[in-house]
Amino acid sequence: MFSNFDFGVIPLSLPFIWQGLLYSLKLTATAMTGGIILGTLLALARLSGGVVLGTISTFYVNTLRSIPLLMVILWFFFLIPIFTGSPMGAEKSAMITFTLFEAAFYAEIMRAGIQSVSRGQINAGYAIGMTYWQTMGHVILPQAFRNMLPVLLTQTIILFQDTSLVYAIGAKDLLKAAEITGKNYNRPVEMYIFSAVVYFAICFSLSMLVKHLNKRIAIIR
Amino acid sequence: MIEINKVSKWYGSFQVLTDCTTQIAKGEVVVVCGPSGSGKSTLIKCVNGLEPIQQGNIAVNGTAINDPKTDLPKLRARVGMVFQHFELFPHMSIIKNLSIGQVKVLGRSEDEAHAKGMKLLERVGLKAHANKYPGEMSGGQQQRVAIARALSMDPICMLFDEPTSALDPEMINEVLDVMVELAHEGMTMMVVTHEMGFARKVANRVVFMDQGKIVEDAAKEEFFGQPRSERAQQFLSKILHH
Amino acid sequence: MNYHWNWGIFFQQVSSSDDTYLDWIITGLGWTVAVAMSAWVIALVLGSIMGTLRTVQSKPLVMVGTVWVELFRNVPILVQLFIWFFVVPELLPRDLSLWVKQDMPGKEFFTATLALGLFTSARVAEQVRAGIQSLSRGQRYAGLALGFTEAQTYRYVILPMAFRFIIPPLTSEFMNAFKNSAVAFAIGVMDLTFISRQMVEESGQVIESLLAATVLYVICAMAANRVMSFIEKRSHVPGFILAK
Repeated sequence: MFSNFDFGVIPLSLPFIWQGLLYSLKLTATAMTGGIILGTLLALARLSGGVVLGTISTFYVNTLRSIPLLMVILWFFFLIPIFTGSPMGAEKSAMITFTLFEAAFYAEIMRAGIQSVSRGQINAGYAIGMTYWQTMGHVILPQAFRNMLPVLLTQTIILFQDTSLVYAIGAKDLLKAAEITGKNYNRPVEMYIFSAVVYFAICFSLSMLVKHLNKRIAIIR
Repeated sequence: MIEINKVSKWYGSFQVLTDCTTQIAKGEVVVVCGPSGSGKSTLIKCVNGLEPIQQGNIAVNGTAINDPKTDLPKLRARVGMVFQHFELFPHMSIIKNLSIGQVKVLGRSEDEAHAKGMKLLERVGLKAHANKYPGEMSGGQQQRVAIARALSMDPICMLFDEPTSALDPEMINEVLDVMVELAHEGMTMMVVTHEMGFARKVANRVVFMDQGKIVEDAAKEEFFGQPRSERAQQFLSKILHH
Repeated sequence: MNYHWNWGIFFQQVSSSDDTYLDWIITGLGWTVAVAMSAWVIALVLGSIMGTLRTVQSKPLVMVGTVWVELFRNVPILVQLFIWFFVVPELLPRDLSLWVKQDMPGKEFFTATLALGLFTSARVAEQVRAGIQSLSRGQRYAGLALGFTEAQTYRYVILPMAFRFIIPPLTSEFMNAFKNSAVAFAIGVMDLTFISRQMVEESGQVIESLLAATVLYVICAMAANRVMSFIEKRSHVPGFILAK
């Protein structure tokens, strides 16, 4: 079945693939860090009870969650040059897009996490004289973060998979690198298979980690 | 009718049942009691093969439960079971709960099953509720329906797994009344319960279990008069004194 | 920002064609709906089977379900799409392979539907499994004690309730099917994403083009949401309160 295949192309292409994978990982790490920070702020804004902040945050989260990521990628890619007057480059544009997009998803997770911490914890914070921000920072968020760690990680696995969508604007990620080398060596089939294996290996290991975390958290509770 | 012979069962390395032996004759009512975690609920679930056993054997009406050749569904259809938490099917109306087994397992017609279901509902005093859903009824009512559901299959014997322990106190009697009536009619019954009043009234024998073992298996009078084991004495004095 | 707005663009004719841009958009919507809906049917059927398999007594069947889910869940949808489109035809017998590559009608559509359907089936399977496992053991016992076979117990007792439990997460997956269908453009399905990109190229009206597609995606997702909440209301069990 694989008799016509020549997987010898894989070692030849490794350096180039490695560059692509690095970009995919960098994009994931950036969007995760930025997304969680921004997402937490959005969640706090939504839970603050303030009308203006709450409405803006809710609108932001709901809008981005109902649009395909591919469309959002295109929006940023085409709009940024219109606003700034000069093209930004697919790689950079994707960094901004993913951070802002993922923030909407992390926001919902953090909101659930904050709500999973009992109301009594807030009162306990206030009772020992902490301010709102101190209570949030020292008491609520650490617990929320711990409770939601598996879900945050699951979202990050999805994020990592989604980075392949930068294909639409031609950024050189793992998939694009595989495609380019596949074309250069005239071995596209082998390179597609190879990229799928790499994605699978990374995502599967991470999902095993999530399973492990879930078990540990179940014990802590 | 029910023969339990040297039955042992493990969950992983934890032994839940050790060498349990007892028999229930046709028309006999046997109450199984014992402290929580003594294995009595596990034992009764082994009788119709809901829980597998690793050692010993169980036979119902001469059919071995743990024989791989036994058609378990067919056997279970003839063994009625009533659960602690009723386990009515929440997405079916009461009458549907009573007819589904008759139609899908026994192959009766819808009409026949419906008629039989209504007759049994009347018997447990719930005819007016036929078209309600389980979630709309009290626990006591649900448990009476569950008994009717078991009866709808024309069982040759009945298993009760703590039928009243999830009920509010004021509902316990309505369920026990149905069970007492059933016992008087000569139904073979194995009943896991703490209701010693019920045991006194209708049981022929009482089986007392502790830590997965059958510690005492005696006629009712003997058990309540002078239990041989110390554990049974302690247990009785605890639950009879309040 | 100097952007030249032109909302009339939709009624203008596409150069080198008889169609207006509006015709294009409608075609795109049609393909998006077609891919998403057909994929959803595949996902629902296969996902229900695989999710159920993961809960049965037989170890080999559980394994089948597990491998299925892990395989389709851990590779990005776009990569899976390319595998189905570029790789799988190479693995087929010679004649079939040639036919697929050269003559198969609607190849892009069928490939996209299959890929999205299988990808989504893994997620549906996970929800189905969770739904089944959230039911009490007692319900399973009750079905078996009544004389049902394992299959009958699933059919009459477990699955009807499990599906009711998981309507909310299935709703998100249905909406996701529409969103994820956007990858179909990459193999040449003329869906909303493909059309809006094309329209940007042809007309240069970036905002109008993207906005039209975006709004239609949102409407699709909302429609999916409405359909599911209709089903949820219809399947409501009287007196039954979802325990949280």
